[in-house]
Amino acid sequence: MRNTRVKTKIIGTALACAGLLTATACGGSDSGGSADGPVTVTVMTWESAETNAAIKKALEGFKDDNITVTMVDTPSGGYGDKLASLTQAKKLPDLFWCGNDTEQQYTSQGLLVDWSKRITDGEGDFKADKFVGSAIENWKTADGQMGGLPSLMNTYGVWYNADAFKAAGLAEPKTGWTWDDMYSAAGQLANKGGAKYGLVADQLTSLDGPFTMSMYSVSAGGAPFTDNVNHPTKAEADDKFTEGVTKLVDSIKSGAVAPPGYDASNVQALFSAGKVPMMFGGQWLAAGFQTDKPKIKYGFVPFPQVTTPATLFDSVGICTPQYTANEDATYKVLEYINTKVWDAVLPASPVAPPAYTPAQESYYNALTKAGQTTVVDTVKADLAAEKTVGVRFTTQWASQVGDLTTAMYQPILTGKKPVSDLPAYVGKINDLIKQAG
Amino acid sequence: MAVTASAPPRGRRKKAPGRGGMSRNAGSDTRAAYLFIAPAIIGFTVFVVYPLIRSFYLSLTKYNGLTDPVFVGFDNFRRLFTVDPAFWPSLRATGYLVVLYVPLSLAIGLALAMFCNQRFAGVRIVRTLAYLPVVLPAVATITLWKFMLNPQVGLVNTILEKLHLPTSSWLGSSTMSMPSIVLVMLWGVGGTMIIFLAALQAVPTELYEAAKVDGAGSASVFFRITLPMISPIMLLQVILQTTAALQTFNQPKILTGGGPGFSTNVLMLSIYNNGFSNLGRIPQLGYASAQVWVLFVIIIAVIALTAKFSSLWTYSDNTPD
Repeated sequence: MRNTRVKTKIIGTALACAGLLTATACGGSDSGGSADGPVTVTVMTWESAETNAAIKKALEGFKDDNITVTMVDTPSGGYGDKLASLTQAKKLPDLFWCGNDTEQQYTSQGLLVDWSKRITDGEGDFKADKFVGSAIENWKTADGQMGGLPSLMNTYGVWYNADAFKAAGLAEPKTGWTWDDMYSAAGQLANKGGAKYGLVADQLTSLDGPFTMSMYSVSAGGAPFTDNVNHPTKAEADDKFTEGVTKLVDSIKSGAVAPPGYDASNVQALFSAGKVPMMFGGQWLAAGFQTDKPKIKYGFVPFPQVTTPATLFDSVGICTPQYTANEDATYKVLEYINTKVWDAVLPASPVAPPAYTPAQESYYNALTKAGQTTVVDTVKADLAAEKTVGVRFTTQWASQVGDLTTAMYQPILTGKKPVSDLPAYVGKINDLIKQAG
Repeated sequence: MAVTASAPPRGRRKKAPGRGGMSRNAGSDTRAAYLFIAPAIIGFTVFVVYPLIRSFYLSLTKYNGLTDPVFVGFDNFRRLFTVDPAFWPSLRATGYLVVLYVPLSLAIGLALAMFCNQRFAGVRIVRTLAYLPVVLPAVATITLWKFMLNPQVGLVNTILEKLHLPTSSWLGSSTMSMPSIVLVMLWGVGGTMIIFLAALQAVPTELYEAAKVDGAGSASVFFRITLPMISPIMLLQVILQTTAALQTFNQPKILTGGGPGFSTNVLMLSIYNNGFSNLGRIPQLGYASAQVWVLFVIIIAVIALTAKFSSLWTYSDNTPD
């Protein structure tokens, strides 16, 4: 009984605290000053300590007598939790790193400043047409608002161990390779040189798996898994999609591809150690490889295709709460970050190409200088890809889709349920879409 | 100074018996008593009663903690029981955890206590070692176990390979993930051991001596003396361990995140994910409150049932004639 009381006390206290915080929060960020006097603009990122130090140093170059820029300390990891608590306490910094889904959901709740007019009608070069087009489109809500601006692009592909390919007598993958090529290579690389699986493709088997599989169907001339990740009207698993899933199921069954549930938390280290010959991943891993210098010879190649090149596409960005003390000052700092800071930060830590295209050159130069030419080629190919698909729903009910994927899609991949169950799975998602209106 | 029998003592007069009311002293004492217990009553009201009522109200609303709650009746409960694909698997995972963990923790805890109840050189060191995991920071030990259970580079598989025994993907396997979590939880069985040890040491030695004289075997002594004598403590342990198992959070959160599939997605983790941590998504505090109430009812029911049937297997020498 006592434990029950303790439990309810904890839950109740948390709820009461949330209520109290909501009721009593002063309704402003930590920014000091007013529109007429000196202003402090606070910035919070999810970056590593090294990257944060580089950003902090770069921000020292921002010169405005009335504006002071301050970096807010954040814990390494747990950024989502920190964001949630700051949101409820109405203490969000003026500029904070956010994903596309966070921006979409927070904007729809009226929590963020709408920058859409400034970025469209603003003066100078800092305008929407200088950004990667799809990034700007994805950051608009259904009614055209933008609670933040995209800052860095995430591109994806397949990292491969060139030494393992050579040892197995296989040709290294190249742009334009097919899904059959990939699965065939995975089969031949499995159980060799300390590697259990030939391919670890977390993006294909995790909760985002159905969206990644869209690349197969779209490349084959079929329909994407959903028509829009921000405001979808339907989900679909057509014949091409089913064909792609069937091939994946077969590859998991044969042991060529790691199944759902594979612990991918240290896959990068295993890849570096030569124990994972191929892995799906993003371009950001290049920065880590540049520092850690794996002993294997590796490369990065665009995703395979059926007939047409297709890739995943998403971007991260910077958001601003609607209670920011001074919108003009905040926007000035936001502009500075997007136009100047990356030039200083990316050469030391080339994590991603900026969404603001004039700032991309420093990223490519850094990678080229480090000898990571396959990364440059793949990122450029991805950014120029004709067909792109979103990585996941950004809707408020996205977590419910995740539960459906766990309950219905992942058992299909492991063979516990037949591929013929795909329509039932998609039907349930369409029910959610209808309920959400 | 002498006091005559006829002169009443100075000071307040006693009220005449049979006139009702309280003396001034009694009234003052009562006020003082209320003052003393006031902090507890206020604390209980603010931190228990209010959150209980508030969370029940929230369970009937759609509430994200940012905008005003919208009353939706029992829609959250309907969604839980009929729509949410994660709920029943979560309930199943929680039940599986309880069924696996509670008997094992009691059995191992009791066995350890009986071992540590012997007299041998170094018994204090053994007791300390057995209890040590309880005082270590939980997150640190669980993280350590995560490394040890890593299928590729973990110590557990490395040892099994050296011994030419079959290995497992442990936390990555839907069949082995929950047993792995229970294994990690059993690391803290020293807490159970300490309570059993205290109970064992309270059993009168005369009973054992009498049994020895009667020629009773060790099994007979255990089942006819030890177990009945510690049965009230066993009841307490059953209730404590069951409640703790129903509220398990740290191990699945750190080790598996609820996966693979829903195999370790216990109720507390599901509540946390829906209510507080959704990777930057808008929280569903109303929905999580509904889950809290389901868990609350389950805990109350389990405790009530355990208490109701406890008289069948617990011994008490306070039973009235």
